[in-house]
Amino acid sequence: MMRALTILTVIAALACALSLAVGSVTIPPGDLWQVVLGQGDTLDRTLLIDLRLPRTLSAFAAGGLLAIAGALMQVLLRNPLADPYVLGLSGGAATGALLAMLAGAGMVLVSGAAFAGALFATLLVFGLAHGTGSWTPSRLLLTGVVTAAGWGAAITLMLAITPAHQLPGMLYWLMGDVSYARLPWPSIVVLMLAVIALLPLARSLNVLARGPLQAAALGVSVRPLEWSIYLLASLLTATAVTSVGSIGFVGLIVPHMLRLVLGNDQRVILPASALAGGTLLVLADTLARTVIAPEQLPVGVITALLGVPTFLYLLHRSR
Amino acid sequence: MIVIRVFVLFLMLSSHVVADVCATDDNGVELCLPGPAQRIVTLSPGATELAFAAGAGEQVIAVVDYSDYPPEAEMLPNVGSHTRIDLEALVALKPDLVVTWVSGNPVEQVTMLNQLGMATFAIEPRTFEGVSSVLERLASLAGTESEGYAEAARFRQGIAALAKQYRGREPVRVFYQVWDQPLMTINDEHLIGKVISLCGGQNIFGEMARLVPRIGPEDVLAGDPEAILSGGTDEDGNSYTSLERWREFGAMAAVAADNLFIIPASPISRPTPRLLDGARTVCEKLDMARARL
Repeated sequence: MMRALTILTVIAALACALSLAVGSVTIPPGDLWQVVLGQGDTLDRTLLIDLRLPRTLSAFAAGGLLAIAGALMQVLLRNPLADPYVLGLSGGAATGALLAMLAGAGMVLVSGAAFAGALFATLLVFGLAHGTGSWTPSRLLLTGVVTAAGWGAAITLMLAITPAHQLPGMLYWLMGDVSYARLPWPSIVVLMLAVIALLPLARSLNVLARGPLQAAALGVSVRPLEWSIYLLASLLTATAVTSVGSIGFVGLIVPHMLRLVLGNDQRVILPASALAGGTLLVLADTLARTVIAPEQLPVGVITALLGVPTFLYLLHRSR
Repeated sequence: MIVIRVFVLFLMLSSHVVADVCATDDNGVELCLPGPAQRIVTLSPGATELAFAAGAGEQVIAVVDYSDYPPEAEMLPNVGSHTRIDLEALVALKPDLVVTWVSGNPVEQVTMLNQLGMATFAIEPRTFEGVSSVLERLASLAGTESEGYAEAARFRQGIAALAKQYRGREPVRVFYQVWDQPLMTINDEHLIGKVISLCGGQNIFGEMARLVPRIGPEDVLAGDPEAILSGGTDEDGNSYTSLERWREFGAMAAVAADNLFIIPASPISRPTPRLLDGARTVCEKLDMARARL
């Protein structure tokens, strides 16, 4: 199992190196090396350090966060269709972000509003599903899906009344966009903390994945564990959404792909999700900004184009 | 980052020492360049037109999608679309002036350009005088004052002549269709609205709060326009929009008098000197409409 993680780490490092080396401007390998050594001319340094590096790191962190959040949600809801967004979190984030954009706020405020919206959506579902009655994953799922529909309506309403010149920015945000991510450090720190915090819990998660009764019988305190997974997954998703907009698909597909290859052991799946999710988003963003350069594609298009055939192949092979 | 800050500081210092070209952009930010800009990138089709009209065409080294006028602009390298700029390609061209579009370019990308030490100049003419003023300011930054100021004066005089010619004509109620799905129009604050007023037209949606309101067909019927205009033909005269849907409402004054006009799109929609051509077309069509009523 360590071997799988080592291989994934190497692939992730290669993907990041590729993302730094490739762009709409071609930098010769020799000049790239000069910049790595701390030399090189000003233009190459600007391209590599100010434009490509923050973007690569943001993409990696966001992909990792989304994939872990997806893996957690799938364990929590014991539903293979669960992803970080299934409980309406991206809708809450998008509503916050679009409201801020509508008010003409700058990117920092938009990010803050997205984060606030995501947390609000989380607490709303938490409060409603908690209620007075008994709590079950299906109750949580249903509450989440219905609030998500509500957020969807709010988003559509805002798109309908927004002045035309603001629409492109909003659509790119909704499609997911790494192009303006400037400060990758918060996401990276959150990603590392999440992996560190989750590893000790992985055993309990393995048991929980088999059902709450078995978990309780084996001495896991199910309710607190479930709520902490839910809140943690929400926090991770909110962090990702805040830096890159709502990128779909990564959180759903990456954990499933890994389970098909590595089996369903959370001790492996969680760190592997961080690595594979990050790698997928880095590769997708590299393609998004180069494939028809100078035109810039939304990264979500490429994640799906890369992910769908890979997933279908793995699914087919696993039968 | 430190390198960039030092670089920006150096730019600021040097511009204050030898500053000889300065201008204030449409965000109210003053930009000073150490000398006339030699490598200009324009980030909207309108900015491209304005830079060429200001006499700085030879200094423009790159443009964005849809920069189709003047024809020379189509041959220039492209740095993406105005909604998503390829920052790498832009930075690699080492421009000494980047002309941005206040409401059309993503704010965060323009902020990033500023942080990278690029000299940016944001424009968005909202009035006839604004068009002339941008021409003069771009000409100052590019060191092409004689051409730019002459073009600005020509535009001013052209608009003044139209105003004089059409002042006091019988008002015509006008509906201007920006787009048909969804149905969109403009208010009196919009440059197109100002053109309609200039020609003695009365925009039936002039009082609406939004610059580009979305409306329903019922609102158009209730306004009972006497003329319907839409900018909808490209540079080659091919029409890509239609006003035929209105023909089924025979009771509407504009339909009864056959006052449905599709006019060339970019001269009327872009805030550039070609707006004078667009305004002349609108004035002629409204005069035709008047005669048919």
